[in-house]
Order: sequence, then C-alpha cells, then structure tokens
Amino acid sequence: MADVKNLEELVLKGEMTIVEFACTKIDGSIERMKERNPEMLWTMEIQKFMWDGYRDAHKNGKKLVFYGGSVPTEIIAAFDCVGFYMDTIPFRLSTNPALTAKYIDEAEKYVAPSMCGLDKTELGAWLCGAYGIKPDIFVYNSVPCDSSRIAYPALEKIIGVPTFSFDTPFRRDERGAEYLADQIEDFIAFMEEHTGNKLDWDKLKYYMENANRNFELQRKCADLRKHKPCPLPGRLLVLNGTTNAAACYPIMGDLYESELEVGQMMIDLGMGACPDEKYRIAMLQNMIWGNAGIMDWMQKEYNAVAVMDAFGFQGDIIYEHMDDRRDCLKVMGKKIQNNPMIHGASGPSEHHIKMVDEIFEQYDANVSMFLGHVGCKHTWASAKMVSDMVQEKYGLPTLFIDLDAIDGRYKSSDEIKAQIKEYFETVVMQ
Amino acid sequence: MNHQKLFESDISSEAAKEWRSKGKKVLGVICCHVPEEIFYAADVLPIRMRATGCVDSSEAETWMSSFSCSFAKAMLQYWLDGTYELDGFVTSDGCLMAARVFDNAAYINEREKKGQFIRQIGAPRKRSPRTIPFYKAELADLVDELEKFTGSKITDEKLKEAAAKYNEARALVSQLYELRKEKNPVISGADTLRITLAATNMPIDEYIELLKAFLADAKNRTPITDARARIMVIGSALDNPEYLEVIEEKGGIVVADALCFGNRGFGEPLVVDDKDVLGSIADYYLSRLVCPRMMDKHEEMHDFIIKSVREYNVDGVIYQRMQNCEVWGGENVLLEQKLKNQGIPLLTVEREEQMANAGQLAVRAEAFIEMIEKED
Ligand code: SF4
Ligand code: SF4
Repeated sequence: MADVKNLEELVLKGEMTIVEFACTKIDGSIERMKERNPEMLWTMEIQKFMWDGYRDAHKNGKKLVFYGGSVPTEIIAAFDCVGFYMDTIPFRLSTNPALTAKYIDEAEKYVAPSMCGLDKTELGAWLCGAYGIKPDIFVYNSVPCDSSRIAYPALEKIIGVPTFSFDTPFRRDERGAEYLADQIEDFIAFMEEHTGNKLDWDKLKYYMENANRNFELQRKCADLRKHKPCPLPGRLLVLNGTTNAAACYPIMGDLYESELEVGQMMIDLGMGACPDEKYRIAMLQNMIWGNAGIMDWMQKEYNAVAVMDAFGFQGDIIYEHMDDRRDCLKVMGKKIQNNPMIHGASGPSEHHIKMVDEIFEQYDANVSMFLGHVGCKHTWASAKMVSDMVQEKYGLPTLFIDLDAIDGRYKSSDEIKAQIKEYFETVVMQ
Repeated sequence: MNHQKLFESDISSEAAKEWRSKGKKVLGVICCHVPEEIFYAADVLPIRMRATGCVDSSEAETWMSSFSCSFAKAMLQYWLDGTYELDGFVTSDGCLMAARVFDNAAYINEREKKGQFIRQIGAPRKRSPRTIPFYKAELADLVDELEKFTGSKITDEKLKEAAAKYNEARALVSQLYELRKEKNPVISGADTLRITLAATNMPIDEYIELLKAFLADAKNRTPITDARARIMVIGSALDNPEYLEVIEEKGGIVVADALCFGNRGFGEPLVVDDKDVLGSIADYYLSRLVCPRMMDKHEEMHDFIIKSVREYNVDGVIYQRMQNCEVWGGENVLLEQKLKNQGIPLLTVEREEQMANAGQLAVRAEAFIEMIEKED
C-alpha cells in the first residue's frame, strides 16, 4: 500500500478523492493493526463500515443523504438511505494537515477566516470537487452554531440537490420538542417524496432500538470510567465522538461492546489506562481531534488520564414508547438538541455548566482542562461560567488551551504539549 | 424644531433616566428579532443595545473570551458598566454571540442576586407555517412576562397602535433614504447612520417628531457635490458613524446600506391582520429582511443588495465583516460571484468594534474609490 504521504499527494493533485483516500487509509491501518495490534481491530471496523458505506452507496442501489448538523439519522436509515455526516470529512482529515490546509484555504477565498475549520473544510473540499461522492438529498439543521448555519445554506445552493432544513430552538423545553416533532413529520413527508417509499415503522423501530442499545452501552462505558484507576484511555473519548454518524447502527453498539469488554478486563486485572494513575482529568471541552495522541502522552508522561469530557458525555434520552409515533418524534427532537457538538457546548450555557458539574460529581476528577476549538466561539463565551463553577465548587483551576480541532497550522502538537507540561509542572504537581 | 439630537449617536442614559423618572420601565433589546412594538404596547421604553464608543471591553472579554465578536462583547461591557441604566434586557437567540451576552448576563444576575429582568426569546431561522406559530408562542410568553413586570395589560389595540407608530417611523426613514438617491445628496452616509442610530435610544414618538422636522428642513441643506464614488455598505452590525466617515473622508459617499442599524433595522411596513395581531407581528419579524442569521434569506439579501445598487446608483459595495461574526462572515460564498456577474465592484474588509484599524480602512477605501470612480 502506498504510504500516507503519497496518498496525500494524490489527493492534493486532485488524482484521488477524499472518500478513496479515507477508504485506502483505513484499509492500510487495518492491515497494519492485524500484524501489530489485532486485539484493537474493533476501533477501525466502525470507520471501515462508515467509509466503505459512503463510497459504495450508489453501487449498492442506495440513495446517499448528506447531512449537516444534528438530524434524525434513524429516519434516514429507515428509508434505506446511507447518511453521510459531513463533519466526518474534517474529522477524518484532521490528522492530515496538508489536506485540511488546502480546503481551508479554498474556503477562505470566500468566507471569514474565523469560520469553524470543520465548515471551511467541508465547503472548501466541495468547491475543489474533492469528495468523490455526490448526494441525492441534503439535510441540515440550524444547529450547532453560527458557522454551520451559514455554511450549510451556502452548500445547499452549491450542491443543488433536494434539501430539507430543520430549525432547532436554542432553549430546551416541551415547546421545542413539539416544534421539532412537527418538523420531523415534515421531514418524513420530504423523504417519502424524494425516495418514493413510505416510511416503514418497523424499520424505524429497528433503528430506534439500535440507538437505545448504543446509548445504554455508551453509558456503561462511561460508567466504567468512574472506576479507579480508569480502565479506558482518553483517546477512546475522542473516538466515541463518532456517535453522531453511526448512532443508530449496530456497528456502533459493537464498538461499545468491545470497549466494555476491554474496560471490564482491565478492571478485573486491576489495571488502568495509566500504569500508576495519579491524575483524573475532566475535559470541559475536548476538541483535540487532530492531536489525539496527546491523550496517550499525558497518560505516559504524567499518569494523567482523561476520565470524561463534556463533548461525548450524554444524558438519558431514550425511546420508551416505540409504538407511539408522536412520542418517538419528540424523543428524536430532544436528541437533536442533545447530541455531541451541541448539548452543553452550543446550547444554553446552563446545560454545559450542569454537565460539567455532573462529570466532577461522578468521576472524581482532580484536574480540569478546557481544550477548546477556536471555531467554537460560543463555547469559549461560556468558558468562564463553567470554569468558575469548577473553581468554586471543586477548588480546581482550569487549564485553557486554544487549538484548532482541524487546522494543524494553528498550533502544533508540540506547542499544545508545552502548555500542558507547564500546567502540570507549575500547577497540578505543586 | 431643533433636530440636532438626531445626530447624537453616543450612548447616553438620558432617555432612560427621563422615562424612569415617570415611574416606567426601560429595557434593553438585543438584535432585530425582538419586536419593539410589544414594549411600546407595555409602555416600556425599548433601548436597542449597541456598543458605540466602547473603548475597553476587557471585563466582558474575561467572560466571553477573545474569540467572541467585539460588538457583542462591548454590549456586555456596557451592560456590566451600567452605562444605559436599564431595568433589564430582552434578547433573541439572534446569533450565538448575542445568545452568550444573555447567558453571561443572566448568570451574573443570578449570582449577584440583582433581580434584573433578563429574558431570551427563541427566534426561528426560517419563515414557514411551522416556524411562525413557534415564534408567536415565544412572543406570547414575552407579552405575559412584560405584563407581570409592568402591571399593564398588552391588548391587541395597543399592539396595533404600536405597529402604526413604528410604521410611521419606518416610512420616515424610507423618506430619509430617498434623499440619498439624489445625484448630490444632502446627507452623508455617516449622518444617515447617526439618524438611524438615534432611534435606538429615544422614545419612538420623539424620534418621529425629530425626523419629521429634519425631513422638512432637508431641502435647506447644502448638497454634497464633491463625492468621487457612490458606495453601499453591507455587513455585520455597524454602530459607529466614524467608520463611514473614514470612507467618506477619502472621497466616497455612502448612499445605501444593508445594515441592521441602518435601513434594514426599519424595513417595510408591518401589516396587521386584526384577527391575529401577535401572529402578524411574528410573521413580519420572520419575513423582514434584516440579517443573514435567517437561513432562508441569503438569496433575498443578495437580490436586495443588487437592487439597491441600481436604485441608489452605487459604484461599489464595501462589505465589512466583524471578526468572529460568522453570521455575516460567510456571505461571500455566493454573493461575490453574483456581484461580479452584475459588474458590481466589491471590497471586503475585516473590522473590530473598536476602530483600531482606521488607517488601514482609509488606505483600502481610497484605493477602492479610485478604482470605481467614474469620470463625469
Ligand atoms: S466545532 Fe464548534 S464551531 Fe465547528 S461546527 Fe461544531 S459547534 Fe460549530
Ligand atoms: S456582529 Fe455578527 S456576531 Fe456580532 S452580534 Fe451581530 S450578528 Fe452576532
């Protein structure tokens, strides 16, 4: 297999599409893992499932639905369509700074540099014609943020396929749930029109059941992390951020099953992610996607493990009455308002504060970090409220690091490490 | 009648003090999706909050970080300083920066047990048969809360009266804008902005009287004959007339805008359906073309810009975008090409609320004016 640099070159020259790049890279990682680390193969399987699925959607006779922001993926799946969460492009490319740089530069010919790197990458890559797949349908939402709610309407015009958009209220209450349920009804009608199929409630139920299973497993994994020492590495918190794209598919549950198994085994062996756990880090914000290796480094260097973050940590929103259509749609509405990327961070600040409070209460963290993405200005604008609460209630100062989750040019891994090092040496270890 | 007060755009608490001295309430309003008609009907003075003249927003920055829009930060700063002397404020979730002004102020209010009236209403980002009832319900909540706060009942009759009053102001502002279509306008862009900004900080009845007086007097003003280029300014919230002055000092005259503190903050008349007064207000505010926060209005905004360029005989468009304002920051994706197709020159400039880069603006504006000026 060609090495990553060569593949990158091909993409930069326009000779390979992003989807081909991702599939080839994942296949290569799987091959290497089979040789060196076969017990961790499950971490790659979900990625293979997703990217091969996007690439082959049309070959498999399925419609491809691009979606931006938080949308009811169960419905997309129930219509037998393949949903492509557009943020998976920047997530995937975040470890290839040369590629993200190209697309970000392309987008910045039009948009303000302060726009989120995710949206710039999605936009720039589309403008470069680099995706390698074209949707039949586009769905987007007015959440999570100002960047996305500006980028998606622009993409709607540029992509030019039948599009549905949701308007999600900022506040979370019954009115908002009803409002979203109404819109989900409209979305179902839209999908019926554009796929030519009627909604099959049994199929939808299947995906809702999957979503419930995944959610419960995710909670169990989260619960394992309360154990001392924390049995699971910080890096997996980052991986769990993929729930958005695969939240209703069995493969996501399989990933959590494997995670649970590993975690339980570690507990049984009396082992933790760190050989000698000293510090349990609560991540108030955890946008270190391009540099997830830093999690491993903190474990090795400082015996510090990220026990939980306010990005992937979720509440208890599950489908309870599967035959009650209205109830299910309202639950979907609540999920829209609560998934990673939105829940604490881009909704009302009080949710973010509450979630962080719960993390401290449940995970016995003794270090507080805010690794904030510069694109998420709204999260930064809540940061003082959240960290004040941590200081006042738990007596912990918070380390703030600004980074760009996608654009590697903003701050290098070494620079981030240097900031963490200084914090450990001057604050935490004192 | 002396209308000089229309040109005083600095923020003062004078109007608020006077209103409160009568035992009435004064509330701030953040952004364009909080209908001021409702405040008028409650006999509350709405003050549209802005940031003009704020030179130091460091305290607000500790709350909102350096990554936030400086206009929003400066609004929070004025709030923290008590500059306006308000009883509270009402916001919509206009953009996330405005939302965070609310979150931080509400948090501080709670923590310090100040008991101020701080509320937020949800304003949808699309206009549709689904979104109008949602917004109407949010407005109905606001009506309830204001009734409790003031002790006065907000009736349909009062709302209709308020709509008529605001429509009168809208009509007068559109007369003001007509003046700018002249070959040699009698009013500069900076002064026009001063006049529209004045509306944010005085009772609408007083504003109407002052503006009528100004319009009656306008024919006696000396036309501006030395402008080398006619300019339209679009982009993020702009509440600083000096910004336009920098452009005008370089030989341009700003004759049109698509600014929320300018033309767009007024808009077309609100048509009230007697059978559903609050519903008419909800529909109007979601239909009004004022800010690209509305996901379904980008094309309409572009068409409005192109139409204004024609109507006001504009030579070039200056698109100013506040750093960290994503709402306006992404507008170029489609607009630039559209303007190019129409042969309309465009200059894009980055900006902060504090005028730290006036020199750079002057240089760029001058070069742009030179490029677009036409030989007579
Ligand atoms: S990372 Fe932050 S700024 Fe970017 S799309 Fe998500 S919420 Fe918006
Ligand atoms: S200038 Fe932009 S970011 Fe700032 S408050 Fe206005 S719309 Fe929001």
